[in-house]
Amino acid sequence: MSLNVKNKRALTALTSAALAIPGMSASVQAASVLTETVVQYKASAYREADLDSSKLSGGSLERYEIDTQQVRAQLPLGENTDASIEFMYETMSGASPWFILPGQDGPVQVMSGATIHEERKDLQAKINHLLNDKTVISVIAGVSDEKDYFAVNAGLEALYEIPDTQLTLTAGIGYSDDELEPTDGSILPDRIVRATRDSTTAFVGLSQILSKTTVVQASLSYSLQRGFLSDPYKKVWIDDQANTINDSRPDDRNQFVAQARLRHFLPDIQAALHLDYRYFEDDWEVASSTIEAAWYQNLPGGWVFTPSLRYYSQTQAFFYAPYFFSARGDGFGSADYRLSPYGAISVKLRLEKRWQSLDLHAEWESYEASADYSLDSVDLENPSLVEFDILSVGLNWRL
Amino acid sequence: MQLYHYPFTAMASPCELRLYAASQALADAAADAAKAEVIRIEQTYSRYREDSVVGRINAAAGGAPVAVDEETCALINYATTAYAESDGLFDISSGVLREVWNFKLGQLPSPAAVTFCLKRVGWSKVQWDAPNISLQQGMELDFGGFGKEYAADRAATICTEQGIAHGLVELGGDIRVIGPHPDGSAWQIGIRNPRDPDVAMAVIPLKTGGLASSGDYERFMVIDGKRYSHILNPRTGRPVDQPMAGVTVVAPLCLLAGTAATVAMLQGEKGAPAWLNDMGLPHLWIDQAGVLGGDLVSP
Repeated sequence: MSLNVKNKRALTALTSAALAIPGMSASVQAASVLTETVVQYKASAYREADLDSSKLSGGSLERYEIDTQQVRAQLPLGENTDASIEFMYETMSGASPWFILPGQDGPVQVMSGATIHEERKDLQAKINHLLNDKTVISVIAGVSDEKDYFAVNAGLEALYEIPDTQLTLTAGIGYSDDELEPTDGSILPDRIVRATRDSTTAFVGLSQILSKTTVVQASLSYSLQRGFLSDPYKKVWIDDQANTINDSRPDDRNQFVAQARLRHFLPDIQAALHLDYRYFEDDWEVASSTIEAAWYQNLPGGWVFTPSLRYYSQTQAFFYAPYFFSARGDGFGSADYRLSPYGAISVKLRLEKRWQSLDLHAEWESYEASADYSLDSVDLENPSLVEFDILSVGLNWRL
Repeated sequence: MQLYHYPFTAMASPCELRLYAASQALADAAADAAKAEVIRIEQTYSRYREDSVVGRINAAAGGAPVAVDEETCALINYATTAYAESDGLFDISSGVLREVWNFKLGQLPSPAAVTFCLKRVGWSKVQWDAPNISLQQGMELDFGGFGKEYAADRAATICTEQGIAHGLVELGGDIRVIGPHPDGSAWQIGIRNPRDPDVAMAVIPLKTGGLASSGDYERFMVIDGKRYSHILNPRTGRPVDQPMAGVTVVAPLCLLAGTAATVAMLQGEKGAPAWLNDMGLPHLWIDQAGVLGGDLVSP
């Protein structure tokens, strides 16, 4: 290796080692690419709590079980470029909410009879390129495959550090094309055989370093989905027909998201506070707010303990009801709990141990959704609101 | 906004903090915190104290590994990186060589004495498995080669955290700028001529970052007409033959500037200019004849 290249690499190596010394400088988002290979593996087990039997009318009590394995590799591809590839493999089984019937003491859930066994494979790749010492551009592409669903996505992102300021600007666009071929579509007369939908998203964000210990970020995004947006497996009960109709949603959806974040480091106690707020609104009249607070506590010996709390509240879609007395004039209708009014509280505890080239972590999350947690009052709680626990473990390996 | 001066002594050197602040109270608070940090680093990494981190590591040489804290881990990692990137010229286990090159006695050591001492030198002989470190019998660590520069960076960081945006930390010639003068203008740093310490041979404007110098002018012996500097090569165990008289390097961190200046001195008069050019950091050197060079002095 020529002396020139060797010394430049020496300077980079020394600078990295110097900056790793605690208290040498505050960490900030900057225009940079990877200089070492990192491999990450994560396994998670998701278990939904079984339904309350008083809220069940038919079908299985059991809810979903999802086991996920993810592998991610990040590798430098030269002085100014790095790439990351992520592969996710998921198996899902359990019963899923099918439709809701009026019951004696309130709406009751009918679960799908057959237990669903599903497998999902998802591959995402991203290449980051440092255009100059202030700018990074990224190209993203991915594919997702399930028995009844296939999607491809592509995107472009840019990051720019505004000179002579402490501001970083980010922006991006993305496009996704999805194809559904619902199971048994050709067998069941009222289930569609095939449908497509696509989605286009654009976002812009700004990040400002307030001081050596504080960073704030804000971002806005807009997304348009078009095509078949209903759930082909769900139905809605129409009382005056004493029968169900298919879940039916408008064929387009405009969505806006605004986010604000604060990161504050407390060097005296080696801890950091993360505060996040997210506001969502779409033209289906769903509006939601999420507030999340997390406390990262560094402990001696390379341990990091992070408790966090998240609160979520949403309003319902205009065509949502647990069931209808008579069909809507516009033909729309959905009993999906994800479009119902509700609130949710989630508590997470995470413990991480860091060594020189390896990190190990374990995380437990407990989530409960309920009409009681909603900011607005809810007349009828959807009986299939979810409650779950997730335990996940993962590792990061820097090669 | 007024300029406040805080001269003090630490690490066997004259030190000074120059801080701009809106009030005496603010400047005093920052100066107290920064001085306390310099003294903490001096005491923690002193090889003269048995209870310091370095003292404990050296006392355990030849025995069980010693577990060290996060700060020491990162400093040892830095020293390991510097050893690797300098092909072994930066070696914090080379302090024991001072036992044979005892400049106070004015005597040359025998080749056998040097060879024997070299057996106790060499970072590759150290067992470093973070956070545990273990030295072989007779080996010693010495953080003197980078402790002052590290302390300058830490003192500057603490002043910044205390709200000082304009100022400078100087620890015996190792400098870290906290921020330029309030009007945005740079600090004018005078570099002493090694042969005539009352005269500045160059003035370097600095708005940010660190500056460190290494030279052979402080301790040397003249024996039989030959000048032996105190800059010892850890690989050969001998002083550098025909060293530069002085090297000054500017870098974003004083720690980096110091490491580069030390390794540059070990390249000798012949090798230093090219090595410094390739390193890519602003620098200047002065050779034994008094000739100045480097990109800080050439237009």
